[in-house]
Amino acid sequence: MSAALEIEGLSVAYARKGLALQDVNLSVPKGGIVALLGANGAGKTTLIRAVTGLLDLHHGAVTAGQIRFGGQSMLGVPAHKRVRLGMGQVPEGRLVFKHLSVEDNLRVGADILPRGQLHEGLEAVYTLFPRLRERRQQAAGWMSGGEQQMLALGRAMIGRPQLLLVDELSLGLAPLIVKDIYKQLRVIGETLGTTMLVVEQNARLALEFAESAFILAGGRIAFSGTSAEIAASPAIQQSYLGGGAAQAAGEEAAQ
Amino acid sequence: MNTNTSLSRGQAWQKWLWRLLAVAVLAYLPVVLTDRAAFGIALSNMQLLNLGLTQVNLMLIAMLGALSLNYLTGSAGLISIGHAAFYATGAMTAAITGSQLGWPFPLVLLSAAVSGALVGVLAGLPSLRVRGLYFVLSTLAVHHVIVYVFLEYQFKFFDVVGIPYAGAKLGGWELNTPIRWYFFLLALVVLVYAGFAASLRTREGRAMQAMRDHELAATSMGVDVRILRLKAFGLSSAVASVAGALFAYLLTNVTSEAFGITFAIQFIAMIIIGGMGSLPGALVGAAIWLLLPSIIGGLAPRSSEAVGLTRLFLVEGRAQFVQLIFGMLVIVLLIFAPRGITGLGRDIRQLLASWRGR
Repeated sequence: MSAALEIEGLSVAYARKGLALQDVNLSVPKGGIVALLGANGAGKTTLIRAVTGLLDLHHGAVTAGQIRFGGQSMLGVPAHKRVRLGMGQVPEGRLVFKHLSVEDNLRVGADILPRGQLHEGLEAVYTLFPRLRERRQQAAGWMSGGEQQMLALGRAMIGRPQLLLVDELSLGLAPLIVKDIYKQLRVIGETLGTTMLVVEQNARLALEFAESAFILAGGRIAFSGTSAEIAASPAIQQSYLGGGAAQAAGEEAAQ
Repeated sequence: MNTNTSLSRGQAWQKWLWRLLAVAVLAYLPVVLTDRAAFGIALSNMQLLNLGLTQVNLMLIAMLGALSLNYLTGSAGLISIGHAAFYATGAMTAAITGSQLGWPFPLVLLSAAVSGALVGVLAGLPSLRVRGLYFVLSTLAVHHVIVYVFLEYQFKFFDVVGIPYAGAKLGGWELNTPIRWYFFLLALVVLVYAGFAASLRTREGRAMQAMRDHELAATSMGVDVRILRLKAFGLSSAVASVAGALFAYLLTNVTSEAFGITFAIQFIAMIIIGGMGSLPGALVGAAIWLLLPSIIGGLAPRSSEAVGLTRLFLVEGRAQFVQLIFGMLVIVLLIFAPRGITGLGRDIRQLLASWRGR
């Protein structure tokens, strides 16, 4: 299987905080679903920023290494162009355009497509999340967190990305809603074959969802393997993911 | 289902009725606001809210400025105190092309638009690097540079009295009466309003509002925010510059002092009073800012025999007194309607709807 996203020897530094990532190697196979795990401050968000090109907004820069998307180097490609090349993003904290209506939010996402595909795209998102259809004229900023997350996901999906980067989807949401959204995300992956790189605090959820995972610790890749491997190893869970929650995942994987 | 469609038809009917009424009022307004007589009795503007037509014309020009600043600040999220500078750019361009080169009026306006757009893009360049307050400061710098250039230009080619402007002529139609100016400016305001409204519905207009709501998220939707910022600046300042040229032609004489920092800040006040990000709000804000002071002045009795405190307030310190009341009204408005008049309107409508049980 060829890789959709390939990261080789990547190091990233911030202007004021110094090195945040060191010699990171990671690859996401085409059509695969990969989770990126790690504790707070391990460098997950930095890695996503490096891939999306939003590092300079945060005064950071790639100091070494290479990022390839679809075989093409992404270094020096501005963030908005990466999106147009097929890199969809669901940013941390959802960041919906709060004064725009739900439908206008989706339209902004669809604006990288030819005009003719707008209607089809809207229908697809509304089918996936009927709640958004009900609210489509409503200002997005006044919806519940879960609805906003659905919108952020729909807004990224409507542009038909080959690779979808999902950052902290479960943040501040009720577990049932998170489960529901992950279910729909799986539907997307299965029907469209979208490659996904998912950053998730909730290791148990992520291991259920993804096929394989990378664990970041202190700015380096500490471990990588299939979800089952990680779920089955209590040692990894103890040292990198904080025991309790993950143990349950291990039990589930064993069943 | 059936009642629903007839209801919406009724609503559409109502909408057209309102529009018709608005057109009628706007068309009749200048007749009311000029000196007139009813049944042989002469009426002056003192009897009608103390408003004259020239004031309304100045308001219409201010509306152009408020609409353009609202586009920049309310829709694109870029706060600028450089709007007086863009007015000055338009007035200066009009002085060069109109007063010095003798170009016809429509071409003068066009040249003002072009120079305004250029200066606007230049003024917008710092927005690529700095954000927030730092950017506001850079627009302040632009303001000082341009007013300085205007001053130098005025003294080099004209004199301390100011720059004179010829009579404005549209083909054979000379704008030599307030009524003619009124209809010309009214048409322009309608045109600019419709233009901004249409542009906000396009892809770029939507992307612009997305950028205002969240720059990072807009970027991760594939929006190039840098280009969009410069475009917003160019369009907004082109309109402000045309307004500046019109301002100069209407007053027929302008000095650099007209474009002080208060002149710039008044536009910010207009869009805040009217409601940030709302096109009708920009119009309402401009109307309040330009007309309310003289309406207040007209309400206060004018008595030359007054003595004591009354005399102090209503005769000697009249102008200051009017400003004081105006200032207080604005503060009260902002306390009770922090989202401006349009925000207040929306709240009241929602309240009424909830009272009706829907």
